[in-house]
Amino acid sequence: MKFVGLYKNSQVFKIALGIAIVFVGYIASVFYTQMRSLDSSVSLIANATETQLELEKVLSIISIYETNLRSFIITKDDSYLKNRFLRKGEIESNLKRIDKLVANNPARIKDVKRLKELIDYRFELFRETLLLAKSKSPNSLILNAKLQESNEFTEAMKNFVYKTINAEGDKVKIHNSNHQFELQDSIISAFLLVILSLLILLLSFNKMNVDIDELKKANDELKFLNRSFNEAEKIAGFGHWKVNLVTNTYTFSDNFYRLLEVEPQSFSPSLESISQFIHPDDKEYVSDMHLQSLKTYKPTSIMFRFILPSGEMKYVMSVGSFVENSDGEMVKTGVNYDMTDQFKRTLELEENNRELKSINEELESFNNIVSHDLQEPLHKIQMFISRIEAKENDALSDQGKVYFSKIRTSANKMQTLLIDLVNYSRTIKGDKVFEETNLNELVLQVIDDLSSDIEEKKAKITVSDLPTVKVISFQIEQLFINLISNSLKYCKENVAAQISIFSEEIEEHEIRDNEKVSNDNFYKIVIKDNGIGFKQEYADKIFILFQRLETGAQYSGTGLGLAICKRIVENHNGFIQVTSEPNVGSEFSIFIPKKA
Amino acid sequence: MISHKDSMRILIADDDEDDRTFFSDAMTELKMDNELTLFNDGMALMDYLSNPDIVLPHLLFLDLNMPLKSGFECLKEIRANQRFKEVSIAIYSTSSSEKDIEETFIEGANIYIKKPNDFTKLKKVIKEVMDINWQFHSSGLNKETFFFSI
Repeated sequence: MKFVGLYKNSQVFKIALGIAIVFVGYIASVFYTQMRSLDSSVSLIANATETQLELEKVLSIISIYETNLRSFIITKDDSYLKNRFLRKGEIESNLKRIDKLVANNPARIKDVKRLKELIDYRFELFRETLLLAKSKSPNSLILNAKLQESNEFTEAMKNFVYKTINAEGDKVKIHNSNHQFELQDSIISAFLLVILSLLILLLSFNKMNVDIDELKKANDELKFLNRSFNEAEKIAGFGHWKVNLVTNTYTFSDNFYRLLEVEPQSFSPSLESISQFIHPDDKEYVSDMHLQSLKTYKPTSIMFRFILPSGEMKYVMSVGSFVENSDGEMVKTGVNYDMTDQFKRTLELEENNRELKSINEELESFNNIVSHDLQEPLHKIQMFISRIEAKENDALSDQGKVYFSKIRTSANKMQTLLIDLVNYSRTIKGDKVFEETNLNELVLQVIDDLSSDIEEKKAKITVSDLPTVKVISFQIEQLFINLISNSLKYCKENVAAQISIFSEEIEEHEIRDNEKVSNDNFYKIVIKDNGIGFKQEYADKIFILFQRLETGAQYSGTGLGLAICKRIVENHNGFIQVTSEPNVGSEFSIFIPKKA
Repeated sequence: MISHKDSMRILIADDDEDDRTFFSDAMTELKMDNELTLFNDGMALMDYLSNPDIVLPHLLFLDLNMPLKSGFECLKEIRANQRFKEVSIAIYSTSSSEKDIEETFIEGANIYIKKPNDFTKLKKVIKEVMDINWQFHSSGLNKETFFFSI
């Protein structure tokens, strides 16, 4: 596995290939020098052989000459002397060739020089002998002596020449054995060279194959990726574009064209060609932003409109940023996506929001009407009622007094209702500021505010151990006002009202909205009375707007009080429960989360 | 220090004629030796106050909803002028909205009175407000005591 890994690593392979090529180069150069020396050996051997041959030729010519001279002496036939000068010329041309052959061998040059001297002297002897032989009366004694001397000298010359020939022969022998070794070395080198070259060739071929395979695989994968990218573009409804800043060429993806509702690649991509699709009002802005970014390399995010060939308008978001491509050229690349639906939805939402706002404003003004404009005439009615009661009461008949007191009751009831309506609308409005509130202090303040009602009912209220909670203060105040007022309102006749307000441990089994309610996350506050109570089955009904259980004249409810309570507790992400029993009393439990 | 015991100079600005009548009737019935001046709207009030020759009032009752110039605008203008710093201002309105109470408190009104719906109560309110030691009340002013309740 490790080897395969190394094999696949092209860096390692390159280094190996480099080393192998250096090695092959080395062996090739060794082989070359070996071949060169082999070549020189061969020429040396040839040279020596030729030198030998020439020397032998010289000897043989001299022998022939000698033989001819003897034959002449014996026969006195001149024809034996015919070729004498020619022979001399032949020897000279032989010696010239020998000179050439031994030119690189100083020892041999010396030998040849000596040989030339010997030959010259030998020819001197020839001439002397010939002169003696040609004389009319040859002194046979002197002639014999001369012949003898010639003979000996020839022998000596032959020895000298053979010595030289032998020397050349020895040299050839040495060369020959060297030649043998060199030849062996060269064969090994050549073999190594071939084997190594083959090996490199094979490795390279294999590597190439592997690389091609991998390249093909990568290519296939790239093609697949490209296809899925195109599909993704189609599905997601965006088009991809890029601009090469160096070559100033634009490239648009197929879906880029589809977004414009034209055939893919149906026009050549450029800033000018795409500008024709941009809404006239947006054209300048878009191209300005784009061209500006090409200078600063800052990413762009431009929203604009396309006018399609069909005349339809499309809202498009174009986001682009800068990257360098593999050639180190700066490229701006990005996507266009169709925001038409989103934009329309946003417009719709904005429209809805505006409507909601105006509804809210209407509600607000309605609230103002109730809290002020309606209260003002009512206030006046009540004032005049009190004026008449104080000043003109005696002028009324008994029946008139009854009617008049009914007017007052109705006016008062209307006022209560108006106040409750204002309070209810206040629980809906947005300005909810949560602040740390000591409930003990808050409840005592409420009791103080309600003191006249409490006195009237002769009620006894006990407050014990309430926590400090982060709440919307004025709402919680309203909550206690309503709950205490409720208990006071529905107290039993002839029995002093007893109201106790306390916090209580939450029992384990309390569960609401699948969420376990425990002491860890909720406060539980209880308001308990000894009033007339009601049947438990109405427990949920009493918190509904304008739902009243008691409609008798003595109970002056508006049907808003407990609905307000429910709203307030829900504003705090809490909840309110009630357990009640007729003629025993009711117990309201408020659950408020510890973390607001 | 202004002594309230003998005679108080009181101003009231209210665009409602009936409310002005109730107010002056209550004052008369209380038989207090006070000097009451009535104004039909904020503009008339501010015109009067801008006259440098007048003797400044001790107490000013200010209705909020008035045409031309609202009580809230009057309050702001008066509190922006050092000349009126000794004048106590009682907001006198039908509204008891949290917003109105809060804003007038912030702008420097001394007390907030919701117009009573009963003449007897009105007399009681006026009497109690006259009896307040304003310097003491103003120095210990907070949101709880700001809203006047009987």
